[in-house]
Amino acid sequence: MLRDITIGQYYPAESAIHRLDPRVKVVATFIYIISLFCFKQLSGYIIAALFFLCMVKLSRVPFKFITRGIKPIIFMLIFTAALNLLWTSGENVLIKAGFITITAEGVKKMVFMALRLVFLIIGSSLMTLTTTPNQLTDAIESLFKPLNKVKVPVHEIAMMMSIALRFIPILVEETDKIMKAQLARGADFESGNVIQRIKSMVPIFIPLFVSAARRANDLALAMDARCYHGGEGRTKMKPLKYKKKDIAAYLVMLCYICLIIAAGRILPV
Amino acid sequence: MIPFIKAEYLVHEYSRRDEEGNVTGINRALDGISIEVKAGDFIAVLGANGSGKSTFAKHLNALLVPTEGTLYVDGKDTSDHNNDLAVRQSAGMVFQNPDNQIIANIVEEDAGFGPENIGIPTDEIWHRVEESLKNVGMYEYRKASPNHLSGGQKQRVAIAGILAMKPKCIILDEPTAMLDPAGRISVIRAVQELNKKENITVILITHYMEEVTAADYVYVMADGQIKMQGSPRQIFAKSEELAKYKLTIPEVTKIALELIKKGINIPKDILYVEELTDILLKLKVSATVGVRKE
Repeated sequence: MLRDITIGQYYPAESAIHRLDPRVKVVATFIYIISLFCFKQLSGYIIAALFFLCMVKLSRVPFKFITRGIKPIIFMLIFTAALNLLWTSGENVLIKAGFITITAEGVKKMVFMALRLVFLIIGSSLMTLTTTPNQLTDAIESLFKPLNKVKVPVHEIAMMMSIALRFIPILVEETDKIMKAQLARGADFESGNVIQRIKSMVPIFIPLFVSAARRANDLALAMDARCYHGGEGRTKMKPLKYKKKDIAAYLVMLCYICLIIAAGRILPV
Repeated sequence: MIPFIKAEYLVHEYSRRDEEGNVTGINRALDGISIEVKAGDFIAVLGANGSGKSTFAKHLNALLVPTEGTLYVDGKDTSDHNNDLAVRQSAGMVFQNPDNQIIANIVEEDAGFGPENIGIPTDEIWHRVEESLKNVGMYEYRKASPNHLSGGQKQRVAIAGILAMKPKCIILDEPTAMLDPAGRISVIRAVQELNKKENITVILITHYMEEVTAADYVYVMADGQIKMQGSPRQIFAKSEELAKYKLTIPEVTKIALELIKKGINIPKDILYVEELTDILLKLKVSATVGVRKE
């Protein structure tokens, strides 16, 4: 059912990773992504892969859920791989046919670049798989709080994100209702070329926008009625508090990044 | 005793403007409303569409301010914006559309939204959320997503969200207009209970006659004015006058009035089905007894 759609791709499970403070997970993901660009040789990839596998094991998320994240970027992956393959110049030419030159350096760069992208995607999908969207907005609000000093409305942005999350299923359901109503009036969304199909969407989007604007107005009134007046003087029902395991997780990340940097300096391959 | 709500000759005008922002017409939504509500009362405001009853409700919550006249809620002047938060805290408002007033993604977080805004400490928020969800019978759904609840349940969550701010008064602006009959009953029952057990003042704005029977006192609005007032029985006895304001009396009262027309001797202010059946049964008994005596 449409009511059951979830945004993001949270995988509910009881695991050490799930229970971590969402801020730790956001920071750790950033560290992991940065670490991917700290090395150039094979050993770095092995360390990054091993570390990631450990985390997956800890999170109890089935591996196929994690690899699912790669699907939407497969085209981009092939494209970057091809570019790297064709445009890298080097001495060890493997194939030369017309204007196409493939070098051993090119192959190496292609493989490493593709691996880097894959790690980047699956690394961040591990975070979204183990953190609910609500926790994520809380973490973002708390982590970016210092930006308040430079007049970035951090609380308001986080509030908008969480309201958007709440209304997505409602608006999806509404779109479905409008589509059915238009179908009942003889609308045709299936046939015709691309332009005709896009045109046939207009009678769906206009009522949807009108109703979304109306809902926004209602919601603003309801928030006013419940004394909402921005982030100032606001308390939290579920405040984020670091526990011992969160500190431990930060230490693990620190060890990991040291290891990666050290490996990059010391190990030859 | 100072009345909890005191409106004196309240006027509200909406002005229509053209594209350049010039006023092209003025719409008087409220036209001299004077009302006093005592703390602990259950008041109903009846009115057809466009009678000004929702505009009036928004004034009680300081969402709109009077064009003329004054309105005091819990002793505070609503036209002073410094009082906004205090007014909204002591007189909470529940709206018509259940989907458009639930803010959070989890029931308990929505109930906690109001207390968070007024700066209640975390432990106290949890305590209030638990209490208010129990009060409306939604405690077992505290971890659920509002998208999975029925309309009546969502509306009760909205009431819990207001209750958690510990208001002295709840204003309900057509809370049942979008609900099915079962949801309607559950919401009205929850409101009645709050009025009786927690002694919370209730102002129910509606156009459903059946809901008004629960109230202590009824105001009938039309064209931005109060046209009739009295207890539900007094109001329903005047069915012709109500019809003038595009309102119809409950089915039971209608049946009773038809029976009176046929020459049956029953009172004309009947509100409940049980009441009518009781009276009719008594009539039947006395009639059969009378026949035997002859």
